[in-house]
Amino acid sequence: MAGSAAAAVAISVAAGSGVATAKTASSANAGTLVVDTSFIISTADPARDLDPTGYIVDHALYDTLLTEHGASTKVAPDLATSYTASKNAKVFTFHLRHNAMFSDGTPVTSKDVVFSLNRVINVKSAPAYLLAGITVSAKGPYTVVLKSATPNPAVPEIVTTPALGIVNSKVVAAHGGSDAPNASKTDKAQQFLDSTSAGSGPYVLTQFSTNNQITLTANPHYWGKKPTFSRVVLRDMSAPTQLLNVQRGSDQIALDLSSSQAATLKNNSAVQVHTSASPNLFFLQLTSNPKVSPVMANPDIRKAIRYGLNYKAFTQTAGTGAVQAAGLIPVQFLGGLPTRDAVKQDLAKARALVKASGIKNPSATLAYPSDINVNGLAFATLAQLVQADLGAIGITIKVQAVPVAQFLTAYNADKYQLVQSYWGPDYADPNDYLVFLPGGSVSSRMDWPASANPQLVALGKRAGSTSNNALRAKLFTSIQKQLNASSPYIPMLQPAQAIVGSKNLTGVALNPSWLLSVAEIGTK
Amino acid sequence: MANAGWQRLLPSRAFGRFVGRRLVALVILSIGIVVVTFVLTHMVPANPALANLGQNPTPSEIRNFEQINGLNKPLPVQLGLYFEHLLQGNLGTSEVTNDPIVHDLGQTIPATAELAILSIAIALVFGVGFGLLAALRRNTVTDFILRILSLVGVSVPTFWLALIALYLFFFKLGIFPGGSRLSPADVPPPHVTGMYTVDALLAGQWSTLWDALRHLILPAIILAAANMGLLTRYTRSAVLEVMEQDYVRAARAKGLSRRSIVFGHILRAALPSIVTVIGLAFANVLTGAVLVENIFSWPGIGQYGYQASVALDLPAIAGVSLFIAVVYIVINFIVDVLYGVLDPRVRIQ
Repeated sequence: MAGSAAAAVAISVAAGSGVATAKTASSANAGTLVVDTSFIISTADPARDLDPTGYIVDHALYDTLLTEHGASTKVAPDLATSYTASKNAKVFTFHLRHNAMFSDGTPVTSKDVVFSLNRVINVKSAPAYLLAGITVSAKGPYTVVLKSATPNPAVPEIVTTPALGIVNSKVVAAHGGSDAPNASKTDKAQQFLDSTSAGSGPYVLTQFSTNNQITLTANPHYWGKKPTFSRVVLRDMSAPTQLLNVQRGSDQIALDLSSSQAATLKNNSAVQVHTSASPNLFFLQLTSNPKVSPVMANPDIRKAIRYGLNYKAFTQTAGTGAVQAAGLIPVQFLGGLPTRDAVKQDLAKARALVKASGIKNPSATLAYPSDINVNGLAFATLAQLVQADLGAIGITIKVQAVPVAQFLTAYNADKYQLVQSYWGPDYADPNDYLVFLPGGSVSSRMDWPASANPQLVALGKRAGSTSNNALRAKLFTSIQKQLNASSPYIPMLQPAQAIVGSKNLTGVALNPSWLLSVAEIGTK
Repeated sequence: MANAGWQRLLPSRAFGRFVGRRLVALVILSIGIVVVTFVLTHMVPANPALANLGQNPTPSEIRNFEQINGLNKPLPVQLGLYFEHLLQGNLGTSEVTNDPIVHDLGQTIPATAELAILSIAIALVFGVGFGLLAALRRNTVTDFILRILSLVGVSVPTFWLALIALYLFFFKLGIFPGGSRLSPADVPPPHVTGMYTVDALLAGQWSTLWDALRHLILPAIILAAANMGLLTRYTRSAVLEVMEQDYVRAARAKGLSRRSIVFGHILRAALPSIVTVIGLAFANVLTGAVLVENIFSWPGIGQYGYQASVALDLPAIAGVSLFIAVVYIVINFIVDVLYGVLDPRVRIQ
């Protein structure tokens, strides 16, 4: 029914387009591209992949219904040449291209899309939540319909994620794959998909190791423009080693250099350095449970903390390219608050608020994950700045460094008074941030229930289900301003992200979702 | 007469009992290590599901993860199942890669073995050689330099040495390649042992062999540094002690050649002390491998164990611990037996 009311929210392009920047046949088969990164990968099976390195790999091996190019967050055609969305944002109809082929030369049809997406849902691994409440069906061999139980205008953005890559259903089923409702127990295709690939992307998998090297070679049956490099090698390298390698090698990219490491290459003519604000967000979250901490649950103390922090010091510490987070949604996403709307430090106001709280010698423990860095920035560095800032307004902070596995367990069990955490986008859409609203899964970790602010919850529902992007942006902006006025969240900063590549390369850009599209790297 | 001569060389009954006792202890120790590792890793107040399911897992995904990995069962049941599987040669399945731990260890052990064997060989040749030289040239400039070098080897942190070596020999001088086991353009040789140098040799792929060797040498030297220092110091003091013995003086008085005295009398007598240090050296190599493998991007068991710890991959942690413990126990067992071989007193007693 909703489908019949399909609106003309469609994109259409000429069939055959896809990869944007790779050079054409004249420079094809240029050799081997080497990408050094600190591996965070457990599998190449898209239905089980939610890791940064896994996304780079799966984006190269598997086409998705829609995609993005370079650093852009604008959806573009991939396997689907166009789509339509119903006015109520519940039904999305994708029209598949007819010339797409898997690496074994067989055509990609709607049957493969249905199998792939149902497999993600039923395997119930980490990416399953992306399709929560969504059903998938085929309408002919080249049309696929996604129906969402609730309005979800983020669906076009969601289907770009590499976890929703389309696999060759016949091949995967023949190697133990299943999309049946009991697939979480019966699907045995991971080992197969970790040894070879079954996709229609520009590359095929020829070597896979979660702690060594992953080798991709060009897919001879790729339907789009051939990638420049016939071979791509991703190597697991620590950041200091990446820094040395990228300066000595050619056709080489380093993905994990911190802003300060990248700055040392500023005058090096052999490399190109690109720094920008990462879509990752550092934030403070305060418990709303007075039993856990009456100090952190106090509205005046919360405001005092918000005005007491030296945000400039955060961004200076994080290096060139870092920006203060004005809200929870990254500045480059739809609905992201501009930096001019960010909270500014006001020590007099903060001290007055501490006094107004009536709490004598307020104190709290700040927990943070101690064994991970985000964009080369250690949580400990920021925690120490927070401790000093809050000390200056009369709030004593004890910092508690916790290994990430333990941190997540205690965080989810509402055990912390104050945490310093981060959020990386699962897909480039503000709907990914609805979990921060009262009663959302992140808010529930520190006891901020839906009943705390029903108006904000209702506004979130509206923003999350509105089809009109201009209106959505306005609604999300309003939500973030309200969160800044009163909520247990204090956005801190978006750290700097750096990508460094050999001077001769083109298309060296970081995508917010899958970091790097290796097929888009070309040569000058 | 000939028979009696042979019997003298055979181990005594007491020595046979000694070896038997050591073998029983090896099994009991291994079981104990499995229990301790298993209990300790499960006592960590953290849920592996949350460490592996991204930043926003649903309760149903968490339940599914716990069910698949048997984490919803009581600890004694999990331990019992672990032993049952262990007897069948099954170390469980990684919660991160979903591959059998035996498969993961099979991928990583050859890389570490290749590194460790070369590292121990370098440490042994240079450590014993330098120690002997230092003792024979006691209180000379050579002795002084070697003592300083051995002190540096023992005391400089491995990770620092690795970073400096990489900067100097790869980045500045370009003598050795950077991290990893092979150059990006090279393809691994056909799998036989998993050790690239051996496999390349077996396949007759000389350019791959050369590439693998070039990648192996620098991390092996770094890993050997501490052991070289240790062996130099121990060998020096053991040789100095033996040099004061009456039978060495007697050998000199009999007019034996210097070479015969050094290698036939002094070094032979000093060997039991040196062998003790070799047992320790293996332990150093296994612990040092964690750092060296991370810096040189060497996909061995050290790197695998480190990543398993960060992700709280309990079966992988238990598998790595068990492997390292068994290696350590077996090496010590071999060292004990070697005492008997090297020192007739142990064999007879």
